[in-house]
Amino acid sequence: MSNPSVPIQSDSAAHSGVKALKCRECGRRYELLAIHVCEFCFGPLEVEYDYDVIGRKISRQSIEAGPVSLWRYKDLLPVLGEPTAGLHAGMTPLVRAERLGKALGLKNLYVKNDTVNHPTLSFKDRVVAVATTRALELGFTTIACASTGNLANSVSAHAASCGMECFVFIPHDLEAGKVLGNLIYKPTVVSVKGTYDDVNRLCSEIGAEYPWAFVNINIRPYYAEGSKSLAFETAEQLGWRVPDQVVVPIASGSLLTKIWKGFHEFTRLGLVDENPLLKVNGAQASGCSPVYQAYVSGKNHIVPVRPNTIAKSLAIGNPADGFYALDVVGKSGGQVEQATDPEIIDGMKLLAETEGIFAETAGGVTVACLKKLAQKGSIRPDELTVAYITGNGLKTMEALAGSLSQPVSIDPNLSSFRQIVNPKS
Amino acid sequence: MAHLRIHLTFPEDRVRDPIIYEISKNFQVVPNIRRADVSDKTGWMELELVGDLSEIELTIDWLRKKGVHVDPLEKSILEG
Ligand SMILES: Cc1ncc(COP(=O)(O)O)c(C=O)c1O
Ligand SMILES: [Zn+2]
Repeated sequence: MSNPSVPIQSDSAAHSGVKALKCRECGRRYELLAIHVCEFCFGPLEVEYDYDVIGRKISRQSIEAGPVSLWRYKDLLPVLGEPTAGLHAGMTPLVRAERLGKALGLKNLYVKNDTVNHPTLSFKDRVVAVATTRALELGFTTIACASTGNLANSVSAHAASCGMECFVFIPHDLEAGKVLGNLIYKPTVVSVKGTYDDVNRLCSEIGAEYPWAFVNINIRPYYAEGSKSLAFETAEQLGWRVPDQVVVPIASGSLLTKIWKGFHEFTRLGLVDENPLLKVNGAQASGCSPVYQAYVSGKNHIVPVRPNTIAKSLAIGNPADGFYALDVVGKSGGQVEQATDPEIIDGMKLLAETEGIFAETAGGVTVACLKKLAQKGSIRPDELTVAYITGNGLKTMEALAGSLSQPVSIDPNLSSFRQIVNPKS
Repeated sequence: MAHLRIHLTFPEDRVRDPIIYEISKNFQVVPNIRRADVSDKTGWMELELVGDLSEIELTIDWLRKKGVHVDPLEKSILEG
């Protein structure tokens, strides 16, 4: 492979608004390489942009003339050249949720429906589209991740579509159905014997040892930026407006912080008017709620937990961006809520029954927490509210076992139908 | 020589222990602290351990037995 530590300078790089990687803690700057930690203070690195350069290029018109994908916001994504992976990710429907709103007492509710993202039906297709494009720019030929679900599906599919080598690390006790969702794309699936802690440590060591693009380790600064596109699309689809309230599921906390960043970038560039009301609310499952626990305790210390919830996609015991997610919630005046497993199921059912959207358990968490925020009056009926539904229900069907009614069984004749079903009209 | 970067979280009953001193005393590893935030109830610390891999692993086992939560610097890497 070519040397991954030398970024490829394309023609457009010179005019790009992507400036550097910058430490979130001490502010030191680094070249745009495959690195994620400040060598000086061990703080996480984040992409820094030159908003003057971007401001001269971007406009509502330039965005509207762009592709029908998240790449219409390329000027605000950390790639230097043209996109080469995940060309159809993003631009998912923003649904005016009148029926769900009615059930919750909200008059101005929207659902951002990432259950239909391309190609693997979750918001991870956004972050992986950006990570894969950047990994290719940096000269990597192998891409990797550690995941129990959505992330692995997305990395496997993107690698297949680009002809990259792919390694996916999973815990040894993962359900067969989830493993299959990766195997079909033919990555090397490595099943690691041991606890989640063991998998984490092994992956950290592999990340340091092998010249791979590990999307959520050394590529994480670029990867994470892909989530901003959820805010960009929301603002554009609302007619260039920033909502008053958003409800976002939290696992690592990255998605929540990037949605906030996305709205701020649009505001700073004058693409939307500032909405000082914007409150960012977080949603966690009670069986794994380290950020909620820190929020209610009033401290900004995240205490790691051992996850035990049906919302497996949100089951992150020691969230990397938990502290930053708390910070965003706090400064925006939002809240963090949590939902029990039965509340999560009810949330999934309510969303399906009112809006015809079949979300995975993470969507159930979001709807359940939205409901609590509405009931408490933290979200008022007239506030422009957006709930982020980030993954597809077909992936977590086992969570619904025993909670749906059975089909009505009849004999194959009209009288049996009349007798047993007996519809009114 | 191996280098391992870790994130430690201390439970309430370990916050006051002289953990770093004890690491240096009991193991052939050099702990190099980069960031920390410790209050009287909880605390975390990010550091690098430098030494032979076997000694580093012994240090981590010892920390875990003391009830200190040890994660890689990246914390939870495994995602949904
Ligand atoms: C469906 C779904 N929603 C939300 C999240 C949370 O994202 P983050 O880790 O950025 O907080 C995940 C993460 O795996 C996910 O799979
Ligand atoms: Zn730093």
